[in-house]
Amino acid sequence: MAVNRRADAVVIGGGVVGASIAYHLARRGFGRIALVERSYLASGSTGRCGAGVRQQWGTRLNCLLARESVRMFERMEDELGYDRSIEFKQGGYLLLAYTDREMNQFVKNVELEQSLGIPASLLTPAEARAIVPMLNAGDVLCATYCPTDGHANPFHVTYAYVGAARRLGVEVMTFTEVKGIVVENGRVARVVCDRGVIDTGVVVNAAGPYSGLVARMAGVEIPFWAERHQILVTEPVEPVLRPMVMSFSRRIYCQQTPHGSFIMGMADPNEQPGFSTESSWKFLVEMAREITRVLPPVGDLKVVRQWAGLYDMTPDAHPILGATPVEGFYLACGFSGHGFMLAPVTGRLISEIICDEKPSIDITGLDLGRFERGELVVEPSVV
Amino acid sequence: MTDARITTHPILEFKEGRKVRFTFDGRELDGYEGEPIAAALHAAGVRVLGESPKLKRPRGFFCAIGNCSSCLMTVDGRPNVRVCTEKLREGMCVTTQRGKGVLFAND
Repeated sequence: MAVNRRADAVVIGGGVVGASIAYHLARRGFGRIALVERSYLASGSTGRCGAGVRQQWGTRLNCLLARESVRMFERMEDELGYDRSIEFKQGGYLLLAYTDREMNQFVKNVELEQSLGIPASLLTPAEARAIVPMLNAGDVLCATYCPTDGHANPFHVTYAYVGAARRLGVEVMTFTEVKGIVVENGRVARVVCDRGVIDTGVVVNAAGPYSGLVARMAGVEIPFWAERHQILVTEPVEPVLRPMVMSFSRRIYCQQTPHGSFIMGMADPNEQPGFSTESSWKFLVEMAREITRVLPPVGDLKVVRQWAGLYDMTPDAHPILGATPVEGFYLACGFSGHGFMLAPVTGRLISEIICDEKPSIDITGLDLGRFERGELVVEPSVV
Repeated sequence: MTDARITTHPILEFKEGRKVRFTFDGRELDGYEGEPIAAALHAAGVRVLGESPKLKRPRGFFCAIGNCSSCLMTVDGRPNVRVCTEKLREGMCVTTQRGKGVLFAND
């Protein structure tokens, strides 16, 4: 089927961020909207992610965005009329500090979070162990815990948004790859896909790790790179781990899904920018070693499979949201590993910006211009 | 039930070690050290090793090479042990696993 048509907006990227944007635009009655995905829905970073949703951050902006996203996750099934479960499990996030530097940062973070109404608190190692009895608290200095953090199923969340978007008339074009973006007189004119051309005045770049390439099609350069992150899943056992357990200095996170399997990931500080999604033996060995130190009983679990996905990285680990010098070309990318949890609020904010409304959260600091102005919003707490 | 004793296997070696005692759901049984736990259970006439995850139907010896998850049992407190490949040792405590298995008791 060749497509040659007109749309009021084209959203590039059928991951959770693109799905949320398409839905929110449709809900605002923006007109004809096309969601273009080169593979299947959630086939990229979304379907490969660790699926965590946390509000414990080191910057005010990330806290505010995450806090609003949690509220949106809480009522998502009703809002989107999803008749299945998005598997949002609010078992909290337990963040572990192993160094003095981390501990000092945690004290600051909790103060910030509490000032914004996020119910996080600072815990002693013994208190952390009361929440996760299998925790090896031996070398833990302190922990922070927020009970309303959690995780959800990224496939279900994407399908929930896409289903609701479809009912509002959004055309979902999977297996359709964007090959070019035509800009005329400084504004977006059309999107050239491998299956035809879509005339449009609005294009949203939600292409995850490929956003740099998509932006370049419109002549926009963004400071941006893709970085492989690896992850694994174990066999299921009866529920035993309530919160997501995470350590920045050990660069790991681990959660138990409602199904019972454990999902865990570990960042490699020597990972080079690139688009490889190959799995490595080294990850398997290091991940197993680290998690066995932190949560010893997990060492008895068998690994079912491992995989890798791409983070869409920016120099300050904050997303790039909003307009660009090309009129009608918007960015929703650079989530630096946190796109899933920020997707709900991102969809709303981007739709507000495109509809010329005042964004419900002030995100002027997250525009593309911040890099030229040297106004980076550095997030200290990331894996 | 000596006729039910498995002595050859296309892939696994069945060295008949010394006779050892172990328990299955509290019952004392004999087996040979080093043979797969499932072989010892089979020789003792045990045919149901576990249950299916959703419908709780009986599950027995199936692939016998550690692949199919039909014989997951709890051994010495460890859940999801594939007894068709796990070697028998003196005094092992083998129990039928209900549900997905318990990794760790929180209380």
